Amino acid sequence: MDIYLQQLPQQLVNGLTLGGVYALIAIGYTMVYGILSMLNFAHGEVYMIGGFIGWWVLYLLSRGNVPILHASLIISLMMIIAMALSGLLGVIIERFAYRPLRKAPRMNLLLSALGVSIFLQNLVLNYQGAKARSFPVSSLIPENLRVIEAGGVVFSFMRILVIVVAFGLMALLTILIKKTKVGKAMRATAQDTEAATFMGIDVDRIIVLVFLIGSALGGAAGTLVGLLFTQVDYYVGFQAGLKGFTAAVLGGIGNIFGAMIGGILLGLIESLATTFFPATYKDVVAFIILIVVLIFRPWGLMGEKIPEKV
Amino acid sequence: MDQDLAKEEGGRKDKAILCLGIGIILAIAPLLMPNNYWLRIYTMAGLFVMLALGLNVVAGFAGLLDLSYVAFFGIGGYTYAFLSSNHFNIHLSFLLVLPLSAIITMGFGFALGSTSLRLKGDYLAIVTLAFAQIFRLLLLNLDRPINITGGVNGIYNLDPINLFGLSIESPIATSYLIWFFAVIVVLGSFRIKKSRLGRGWEAIREDELAAEAMGVNTTKMKLLAFAGGAFIAGATGTLFASLQESVFPNNFDFPQLVIIYCMVILGGLGNIVGVVLGAILLSILPEFLREYGAYRMMSYGLILIVLMALRPQGIMGEIGFLTKGKKRPDKEETGVLKASTDLYYTEGGKTEQQIRPRYKRNDRPMLELKNVTMSFGGLKAVDDLSFTLHEREILSMIGPNGAGKTTVFNLVSGIYPPSLGKVLFEDADITGLKPHQVVKAGIARTFQNLRLFSNMSVLDNAKVSQFCRTQSGPISILFHLPRYRSEEIETETVTKEKLGLFGARLTGYRFDQKAMSLSYANRRRLEIARAISTSAKLLMLDEPSAGMNPQETIEITDFIKKLRDVYGYTILVIEHKLNVVKRISDRVVALDYGRKIAEGSYEEVANHPQVIEAYLGRKKN
Repeated sequence: MDIYLQQLPQQLVNGLTLGGVYALIAIGYTMVYGILSMLNFAHGEVYMIGGFIGWWVLYLLSRGNVPILHASLIISLMMIIAMALSGLLGVIIERFAYRPLRKAPRMNLLLSALGVSIFLQNLVLNYQGAKARSFPVSSLIPENLRVIEAGGVVFSFMRILVIVVAFGLMALLTILIKKTKVGKAMRATAQDTEAATFMGIDVDRIIVLVFLIGSALGGAAGTLVGLLFTQVDYYVGFQAGLKGFTAAVLGGIGNIFGAMIGGILLGLIESLATTFFPATYKDVVAFIILIVVLIFRPWGLMGEKIPEKV
Repeated sequence: MDQDLAKEEGGRKDKAILCLGIGIILAIAPLLMPNNYWLRIYTMAGLFVMLALGLNVVAGFAGLLDLSYVAFFGIGGYTYAFLSSNHFNIHLSFLLVLPLSAIITMGFGFALGSTSLRLKGDYLAIVTLAFAQIFRLLLLNLDRPINITGGVNGIYNLDPINLFGLSIESPIATSYLIWFFAVIVVLGSFRIKKSRLGRGWEAIREDELAAEAMGVNTTKMKLLAFAGGAFIAGATGTLFASLQESVFPNNFDFPQLVIIYCMVILGGLGNIVGVVLGAILLSILPEFLREYGAYRMMSYGLILIVLMALRPQGIMGEIGFLTKGKKRPDKEETGVLKASTDLYYTEGGKTEQQIRPRYKRNDRPMLELKNVTMSFGGLKAVDDLSFTLHEREILSMIGPNGAGKTTVFNLVSGIYPPSLGKVLFEDADITGLKPHQVVKAGIARTFQNLRLFSNMSVLDNAKVSQFCRTQSGPISILFHLPRYRSEEIETETVTKEKLGLFGARLTGYRFDQKAMSLSYANRRRLEIARAISTSAKLLMLDEPSAGMNPQETIEITDFIKKLRDVYGYTILVIEHKLNVVKRISDRVVALDYGRKIAEGSYEEVANHPQVIEAYLGRKKN
């Protein structure tokens, strides 16, 4: 037991890092669900492609593993470009795969999303190959900054970066939603699409915006994870997507703050679970949480039960 | 009548020729394959036909987006690997393992179904996907500490198929065997689809709540779909494992699932012929694209996106210019609609004679509500409500919008269990029963905002209502046992008789029309027809005349009266049009804010000061 207690602070830090990433992915699911009531199955792939874009930026700005610009500039560029292009990808997906089906049965929408997911995954497989791409992070961060130790807990620089960036992005999103006019329009559209239309809100534009923001955050998560675990491959989106969805459900799907809390909670649970179970079963723990929550409390920890209208 | 018989005779002849043709093709196809490579593709096509049809039961018939289907295929495969190989040194005979693994897999399907029954649509998809992932992780990791699944390397050297000591190893013999099973699954699918089970599933797919409210035990039916799909997947898995003589986790991974989904969707969810063609097409087509192998999975993704956007009904769905326009009796040869008065109710069957004019105070109580309360959070939609409905009485419920009238219907029909109080029907306590149990007890309802099974025919809409009066299960249906035959005939007779009450509005050529193609008023009529087809004694009609014009309103008012006077139904009706209420009601109950504010004859209630206040507001002093 003592060993577990000793490990606890370290696992909390690890969990918080992972949780920040899950929260970023979960926000994308939950925003789309809030407005379209659909599970955007392809969101995991957007995250994966975000990771690849980050890798490409880093690759193009390095000469033989040596960065040609200052590290902080490179990391900023990676994040910005990955977010911009992932956001664009999200908008394209919405335009071509989801918008034509806005009035179709939900099952068709979900199947179309499944198709997008398969398509993107294999697109990347075809052009990038099955081998994982590794991020030469070690050459990016000076030796003396790489690991910081404080009270027996090891903070790697990347973990701190991930935590700061993830929580910073979430804070920005919160301000956007709570304080701006566009945020108000988004909240209104999520409440009642039709009523929002009648009040002069261009719902189509709001939906595009939601896909843009959600996908950009997903892409940011992809790049952050790439920097943290130093690699990305075509298959990571599938697992990450499921985790992000689990986080969204845990917090109550459709609820953005729920998604943030759900993500952090899932990250913490997962890293604590690895102290008790073999690491190979870490994912099983997450999936069991998903199944249990969906079966017993499908409205999530933060959501409210709404009786079906007859 | 003779014409019908002749048509049926002709139909049977065509069917026989078709069956013969397919039989000949199946008999000679393996011999025509140019080489063993193509023979194997032909055999695999047979396997995929079975797999796709199994998925078609869950996703197509019942509309459940089950993403763990491929895991069932895997369970079947691994069961054969465990029971017929050197892995555990168990060598059971193929003919024993096949049914065994189908049944074991069915057990897993049942278990999965029962945990995820309450979930709908997207949630069900994601939970089943999580289950499939857990299954895959177990396959990959259960080789340590004891080797159970063989990990990444799988299990190989499985026993070849052995039938009664006769070893089936030649590719030709295997192809006959696989296609033999495939044909069985195809025929079984046709029989199930045409039966009460097929109709029940279709109703659930169209509108789950309405299906439950028409007496379909949706819980049981969904479980049955999961179990049925798993049964076929398990058997196919065993055949696949014995064919490949090995099993690997990759055989049962997500891409495989996507391929099967593409087959089913290409063919059209629920469309058996389409699914068979889809499976064959997608087994063969990729072979022509072998050079572009890497793009294969990508194209499956694209197929899904494009099909959903352009042809969600699949390749076999109705094709505009190919489906011949049926001659409609309400249209002239030129296509101009005849005046609808030509088709005014034709009186069928009973002559109109009043059996009993009015209810008497000492009549037997049918339905009793005792202090029923329903609260949603803090809001009391129904507050301490009690009233009694007697046999052959027409009781109207009136009240302003939001007074809780529809909630009363939902409470009686079991959609919500009441927070407090009791509901008695024919002296039996029905509080808290499921909607389908309430229907079986003898109470049927209509919905205010029309919840018909839009894509089902008029006749099938009514036939769904007989679900709770019939019992035949999969075995009687698959083997067309006498019970199934007699129940089908009974269902047909009852529903045609009930639809017949509406005359030409719902009969004749309209039997085969889709519910959604009916006019608004006819859809309202079909709602009522569907309710009475449940053979209920008590009808609850939620605004039967809503949206009807004055002429239609008079018609439906007379009809409701006739339902009681001639056919002896007891009726509880919600109605806003007070002239309708006045004409039909024996008694009226007025609600406001969930409370009963008045009860009595129409005149008593209409002049009650509280009722006037509820509708018009209080007079200024």
